[in-house]
Amino acid sequence: MNLFTQAFAVARKDLAIELRTKESLNAAGSFAVVILVIFSFAFESFSDEMKEFGGGLLWLVFAFAGALVFNRGFARELPNECLDTLLASPLSGAALIIGKAFANFAMLLVVELVSIFTFGIFYNVNWLSEAGSLTVVFALATWGVSILGAIFGALTVNLRLRELMLPVIIYPLMVPILIAAIELTNEVLNHRPIGGQMQWIRVLVASDIGFTGLAWMLADTILVN
Amino acid sequence: MDARNFTFMFYGFLAAWLIVLLYVVSLARRGARLTKELEDVKQLMASGQKN
Amino acid sequence: MREKLVMLLAGLAAILLAYNLHHMFLVLPNEVSQDFIFRIIFFHVPAGIVGMIGFFVALIFSVWYLAGGDLRYDSVAASIVEVSVVFSIVNLVTGSIWARVIWGIWWTWDYRLTSQLVCVLIFVGYVMMRRAIDEPTQRARLSAALTIFGCFDSVVVWKSIEWFRNNHPGPVLSIRTGGGNMDPDYERTLWLNFLALLIIGAALALVRSRQESMEREIDSLRRAAHV
Repeated sequence: MNLFTQAFAVARKDLAIELRTKESLNAAGSFAVVILVIFSFAFESFSDEMKEFGGGLLWLVFAFAGALVFNRGFARELPNECLDTLLASPLSGAALIIGKAFANFAMLLVVELVSIFTFGIFYNVNWLSEAGSLTVVFALATWGVSILGAIFGALTVNLRLRELMLPVIIYPLMVPILIAAIELTNEVLNHRPIGGQMQWIRVLVASDIGFTGLAWMLADTILVN
Repeated sequence: MDARNFTFMFYGFLAAWLIVLLYVVSLARRGARLTKELEDVKQLMASGQKN
Repeated sequence: MREKLVMLLAGLAAILLAYNLHHMFLVLPNEVSQDFIFRIIFFHVPAGIVGMIGFFVALIFSVWYLAGGDLRYDSVAASIVEVSVVFSIVNLVTGSIWARVIWGIWWTWDYRLTSQLVCVLIFVGYVMMRRAIDEPTQRARLSAALTIFGCFDSVVVWKSIEWFRNNHPGPVLSIRTGGGNMDPDYERTLWLNFLALLIIGAALALVRSRQESMEREIDSLRRAAHV
């Protein structure tokens, strides 16, 4: 079994559990909608200016909701010593991390889809015409945050203050991805082509490759029980 | 001589020294606590071995 | 042996600082456009450089730890990170005070300030996280991972907003410009102060890593007592 087969097996397992229980999706999805509602009180939600900082608002929501998803990622393996079993299995550390990242990625994309629909309705922003560009931006940025959530979720799973420490650790690391994602999302929401902002695409690609590469190289060394 | 300019320069130097001084003080306090704890544990081990 | 080295470094730093302070205040004239406040550069820039060097030296020790598993490397890395955080905070605060006078604002989201702030946030998280973990090997592994990701991230943040937001003063040191942007006397004092701060940083890191060794000794004695 090669790395990707193993990773897909892990991701399929996690997504199967999630589809049955829907605990992360429900929690993260509801949280995202509530935050969007609360933010509507902070801004003049129907003004044109919403398109200027819609990207920032959306990515704040995704970052907070993402923390909920990443926390559950490895925490769900704690009961019945499932984590010990995974680590003792022939599964490579890199496959485990990348598999968890795939699962995080899929779940976060669902939350983002719910959020963008809600955002479009609450803030009267037309984004459907830019669905293609939004998909590219969301996919690139979401992968970056997912791999960070996977590796640091694994490292913090046994900490007593896990729910607090994970966001404190990964939010500063997410900064380049968030900046690039926010800038690109604002461009898209203002119906400008993302081709004009290639440097941010480069930042996202560089971050994705860099973080994935580091996670791949370090996973087996770090995930020793 | 611009008084405000000079005052802020003074605050800048004060801030730099104060931050480092606060860290040195916290290091000293941690060092004292660790030395005492090490002595206590060694004494505990010694008295444990006697018994 | 270690205590003697720390005393030696402290003594050296004290002499250098005394010479530099004398030079800074009594020998060098005021800068033409910025007056007195310009002298903050003698602590602002060296503190920033010492902090940056510290984070990358800690990266090397973190990789060494992951390669060999020797907890002493982790102790040294943690000590250097802590000291580097202190110097980076000095860099941010002194820069902010300077900016208040020259630009009229305490802060701006320029690329250097933003990337330095992000770096400080990452490594403050590192320090907080170390206090939350009691098990030494788990703590060392997480610290090493965070240092590696943190250093990579700092470089990406720096580069990604460099073209985007640029109102911090440009390079003036001759290693970046090839000479001519800063008075040579000023530059010499700046580099001497960098040396002084580097020596202070090294002394503090030595003291801190000694404390880490003591913590490990206490931990192993306690474990032996329970066997």
